Amino acid sequence: MSVPVSQMWTVATYVLGQRLRGHTRYPLVLMLEPLFRCNLACAGCGKIQYPGHVLRKHLSVEQCLAAVEECGAPMVSIPGGEPLMYPEIGRLVTELVARRKYVYLCTNAILLKEKLQEGWFTPSKYLSFSVHMDGLKPEHDEAVCRDGVFDQAIEGIKEALRRGFRVTTNTTLFDNASPIRMQMFFDEMMDLGVEGMMLSPGYSYSKAPDQEHFLRRQKTNELFGKMLENPKKRWKFNQSPLFLQFLMGKQDFECTPWGNPTYNLFGWQRPCYLLQEGYAATFKELMETTRWEEYGRKSGNDKCQDCMVHCGHEPTAVNHTFTSWKGFRDTVAATVTGKL
Amino acid sequence: MEEKSLEGWAPDIHDAATLAEAVDRAFDYRGDVTVLLDDGRELIGYLFNRNPDAAEPFVQMFEREGSGASSIPYARIRAIRFTGKDTAAGNSYAAWLRSKEAAKAASSPPGA
Repeated sequence: MSVPVSQMWTVATYVLGQRLRGHTRYPLVLMLEPLFRCNLACAGCGKIQYPGHVLRKHLSVEQCLAAVEECGAPMVSIPGGEPLMYPEIGRLVTELVARRKYVYLCTNAILLKEKLQEGWFTPSKYLSFSVHMDGLKPEHDEAVCRDGVFDQAIEGIKEALRRGFRVTTNTTLFDNASPIRMQMFFDEMMDLGVEGMMLSPGYSYSKAPDQEHFLRRQKTNELFGKMLENPKKRWKFNQSPLFLQFLMGKQDFECTPWGNPTYNLFGWQRPCYLLQEGYAATFKELMETTRWEEYGRKSGNDKCQDCMVHCGHEPTAVNHTFTSWKGFRDTVAATVTGKL
Repeated sequence: MEEKSLEGWAPDIHDAATLAEAVDRAFDYRGDVTVLLDDGRELIGYLFNRNPDAAEPFVQMFEREGSGASSIPYARIRAIRFTGKDTAAGNSYAAWLRSKEAAKAASSPPGA
């Protein structure tokens, strides 16, 4: 695991503090989407299909900061849309870092080199560029439906690393993924010098153009089982090892849909980052009026049966680490030995 | 199987149930809709939220020509037409694969 100690400490004290106060539902990562506009139209993405006048809109920095304060999560992930197309992304990140929030700026990195050269960002332990990389060059360019994007992302990663920024990668896997090719991809990312990698199976958005290649639960277990069966010591993952074990079928976790709440132009999204079943005006309203019992695998909700995505299950894994001896022991063992 | 697009649909709304269904479909639709109000006004925009459980059920829209979001009670809606382009329709992944195959074929030497 490659999460810095200070970040682990922040998360651990936050989780324990919530538990000591008797809170059973609390957010871990705010998914802050300042805009839906993107410079790609990836096959597996259901986030950007909106009329032009909606795509041209974006949240103000003040709206973003109010959401961050209201939510109180120690980490803020900025997906979208493409956040580097948000005209105030530099100011937003500066404000979040000043508030000591751990920021993951999720980008396709097409604009990364340019923005870094223009001085939009300053290195900080609180800021990590989380670059979207869905595999080696052919697989990635196919996933993003445009040739040449892999090379642009690599350029962006190199520039960010050269300037002293934290860089991680985020990879969404579909059922056509090859375990061996993915292992080669892990080697390539480690050779580049990224801090860690994040993996997740894709979710079958009803609005995503590619509906044929989403992973079902058993296939997810098989794919991750093969891919991570004998992980190399040098592969660093910027996520909970228990979540990876869950993907491999070695842990059984339920979804924590409120773990990564989503805020965007429409408000607080119910119930999670992936499903859009309505919007609440405030975080409090989201937490208090969403019928949480209707979501997660045990609920029987069809939309949740095959979902093993990080945004619902990684909060469960993190919670398990810090609230049970078994979870803590398993996490320490995986971290020390590198075995999953 | 891709679901048929609702683009161009003008549902017949004659009671609370048909209104609720039309609102739900409009909420799920990834294009602009035209909402006819009880005073004869027409609002054109993206319907991004609805709350049928509120004391006074309402929908929320970003009007195409407006800047902020507006709230409209269900009780004021007389008709909803799916007038804007459905931005989620089509299969761009398949189209992209087709164009990639075509480009590959075009760049291959004849007889290869």
